[in-house]
Amino acid sequence: MTFLEPLLLWGLPLALLPVIIHLFNRLRHRSIDWGAMMFLLSATRKSTRYARLRQWLILLLRVLALVGLVLAVARPLAGGWLGWMFQAAPDVIVIVLDRSASMEARMPGGNVSKRAEAARVLAEAAQSYKDTSRFVLFDTALRAATEVGEPSALPQLSTAGATDTAADIPATLQAVVEWAQRNKVGHFEIWLASDLQASNWQPDSEQWKVVTAQIAALPQTVRVRLLTFEQPPVTESWSVQITEVLRRPRAEPPEVEVVMMIERNNPAPAIMPISIGGEGTRAQVDLELSGPSYRYRHKLPVESAMASGWGRVELPADDNPRDNVAYFVYGPPVLLRALVVTDDPAVGRILQLAAAPFANDTNLVAEVVHPDRTAGVVWNDYALVLWHAAPPGGAVAAALHQYLEAGGALWMFAHGQPGQFEGIAWGEAQAAEEGKSWPITQWQRQEGLLANTEENLALPLNDLEVRRRQPLGGTGIALASFEDRLAFLSRRVVGRGELVACSVGLWPEWSNLREGWVLVPAVQRLLQTGGRRFTQAGMLSCGQIVPTGGGEIWTSVEGAKDVRLHAGVYRSGLRMVAVNRPPAEAAVETVEPAKARGLFGPVPVQMLGERKQGEGRLQAELWRMFLFAMLVFLLVEALLILPPKPETAPAVRFQMKGGTP
Amino acid sequence: MAERGGRKFLDPKVVARLVQQPMGTRLPMIGSVAGLHRSPHRGSSVEFAEYRKYAPGDDIRRVDWRVYARTDRFYVKEFEADTNLRCYLVLDCSGSMAFRGEQGDSKLDYAKRLIATLAYLFIHQGDAAGLICLSDRMVWDIPPKRNPRHLQAVFDVLEEVEARGETALIRSLHDVAEKVRQRALVMVFSDFFCPVEPLLECFQHLRFQKHDVVAFHLMDRLELEFPFDRPMRFVDLESPETLLSEPAVIRDQYLKAVRAHLEALREGCHRFAIELQSVATHEDYERVLRAFMRGRALKIR
Repeated sequence: MTFLEPLLLWGLPLALLPVIIHLFNRLRHRSIDWGAMMFLLSATRKSTRYARLRQWLILLLRVLALVGLVLAVARPLAGGWLGWMFQAAPDVIVIVLDRSASMEARMPGGNVSKRAEAARVLAEAAQSYKDTSRFVLFDTALRAATEVGEPSALPQLSTAGATDTAADIPATLQAVVEWAQRNKVGHFEIWLASDLQASNWQPDSEQWKVVTAQIAALPQTVRVRLLTFEQPPVTESWSVQITEVLRRPRAEPPEVEVVMMIERNNPAPAIMPISIGGEGTRAQVDLELSGPSYRYRHKLPVESAMASGWGRVELPADDNPRDNVAYFVYGPPVLLRALVVTDDPAVGRILQLAAAPFANDTNLVAEVVHPDRTAGVVWNDYALVLWHAAPPGGAVAAALHQYLEAGGALWMFAHGQPGQFEGIAWGEAQAAEEGKSWPITQWQRQEGLLANTEENLALPLNDLEVRRRQPLGGTGIALASFEDRLAFLSRRVVGRGELVACSVGLWPEWSNLREGWVLVPAVQRLLQTGGRRFTQAGMLSCGQIVPTGGGEIWTSVEGAKDVRLHAGVYRSGLRMVAVNRPPAEAAVETVEPAKARGLFGPVPVQMLGERKQGEGRLQAELWRMFLFAMLVFLLVEALLILPPKPETAPAVRFQMKGGTP
Repeated sequence: MAERGGRKFLDPKVVARLVQQPMGTRLPMIGSVAGLHRSPHRGSSVEFAEYRKYAPGDDIRRVDWRVYARTDRFYVKEFEADTNLRCYLVLDCSGSMAFRGEQGDSKLDYAKRLIATLAYLFIHQGDAAGLICLSDRMVWDIPPKRNPRHLQAVFDVLEEVEARGETALIRSLHDVAEKVRQRALVMVFSDFFCPVEPLLECFQHLRFQKHDVVAFHLMDRLELEFPFDRPMRFVDLESPETLLSEPAVIRDQYLKAVRAHLEALREGCHRFAIELQSVATHEDYERVLRAFMRGRALKIR
């Protein structure tokens, strides 16, 4: 058993104080000449058993209370004692430190990040094992072992510093297991400090079962100590995230549109100054925020339509300084290619124009191909496929499925024949009554393909005259519906891509959709969606780039930063990327500590919850326990020394008038 | 010197206050001279008792002639006899009677005050008072006499006796019962620290001899309440035995034992028609005596 204040253990002899006082009391007894000896002897004979036992018990409890007090003030360490009683110190202590961006949140009531506090607490706890165990630090960002010579230096280690990465706890534990197997270490403990963020812990992941089974199967004993920091922020907290960077080639002067999302934990309306800037320029915007999540589009003027550059968005400081900055890069406009698949040249021409409306805009290209000649098409080169033919089957359908999974966009129009593709079915064609059409009355105006324009003008869907249609069935979500509630346009997400199904063909006898008022903006929007994987190639999440040995060197544009660990803008040759905190790090869901413990299955786990800053010691629970034990001893002692319940005749009744007959 | 010392236990002021109240017995007494107390025999007082048929040998002066004139039969008119009382004041001089509490007299001194006052009062109202002091070594026995000079002898003995030795109460009381043949008032002053059953047998013996028995049970407040909180060494007053004890540990059992003893004594006295006067020695003895005398007040004729 080890103590933080071992000197105070010299106070242990104090526990003998009650015994000394007892003996001293007996020594300084008073003598008295006594007449009623017969009662005294009888009482001494009778009162021996229980009263003597009680007397000794009281003495023992007083001694124990003092022992408890002395031990409590000597701050006993949890290590090697309670919970892990009588177990030898482990050969190796593997410290797994969650370095994800969410660990940079401040401890409640303090100015220290959860990560720094975790490092401090772990370093403090490690002190008591300094002479017996070896320390190895595994951080969640690099998942590599770092030997720690002096545990007190743990908070200063670069491998324990702040990062903008996400953490993958099961993968890190997997790395620990592999390391242990490789290095054939003896008995070891894993000290895991984390904020239990659900996205990092992935409680539903199958990997947990694999890794815990592996730990349990190790020949040496492995124990886990869990230090949790799942407290939500107590002060206001906000975060910014850049969702999209769009070029606006037609704008004059040329500009880049940065779409950002600001999330807050306080939904009350507030004005927030945000700073947006790039190389040398900086703009301050006061945003009137309302609600917990706010989407803002910022137009950034650039030198030319082909210019490339980078910038950063900054929010004022809050609970977690790590999530207040987001970086973006923009480059020359990316070529967005659309493929029109149709057997009708007229329709092909219309769709081609809808996808690439400006002949002199070389960034938008549309090609037309006959459905029979799609065999050799490299689908993944295209941002958008417009399908105006019978639903595909066989190899083409499989290729299109892969294309959708990879993030492509596909718009399929009705073609007159019933059929189905990817869960969406086109029924038998219907014709409206002579001289009538099916009006479109409902559509999603807030977002998506049919959303209102930036000037908040609605697309003229109610001007569409649909005279023939093929009712849509299946699993899609209706984006627009006719008056009779049948879907006009239906959408389905497949993988990272998007499938849009239309119940109308582009022939003039079907509708006036070909006139373009609705078609062109919707096609352009879908093209942007499908092209996001090309345009946003420069936006990466921290931890996504792990430089390989291929000579790829990433340098930060502002100061020395590690592309693997820190958000920022990095260059490698001509390529420039913005590395940001993974979006999942902003999620507030945490795993319940009990559930986190359950994830370890057969591996023994000890929870070491940290509640308050300043009491941040793994040993805190122990001294409380001793103090509690002391109180219990004192309470029992108090109960024992209570006078017995008064009996029917409380005192000796001695009456003046006795047995007078 | 002896006279002054002997009167130490008699307070004239107390006596002056108590002397107004004559004291009687609960039972008829047989005395040698006329007195204040009822006799079992017929006598010549003014109190009419009964008519009885004349029997040869009766004094013809006592024949009621008026009755003879009316009924032509001889009847004798009888009156109650009044006699004097003989009182034996028995003092227990065992060692335990020397116990002295935090303040005031020892139990023995307290008993001496009671005895001196009572002896004076009895002799003053024409009764005979004697004193018997019992201890394991010697017995003082002063037979009851009516002579006021006799008081001095009583006071001298009171002055002389000390409390020492073991209790010899039981043996001595049987002796007293055997020795005192005529009906008498026997007043025992003791702490009765002895087994209750043999003691009650003594009382029964006294009652069998038709004595009116009064037991003055004297106890100190310390003995009754046992209010000690520190370890004490108790030194027995009647033997060389000592006992080192934690009063807190044994208090309950001690009080229980005392309570049981008192209860048994009270119940036994009630059974044998003994008047038990429980006296705590911190009480004022005048008040104790007044209460006792009120219970035995004589009707003034």
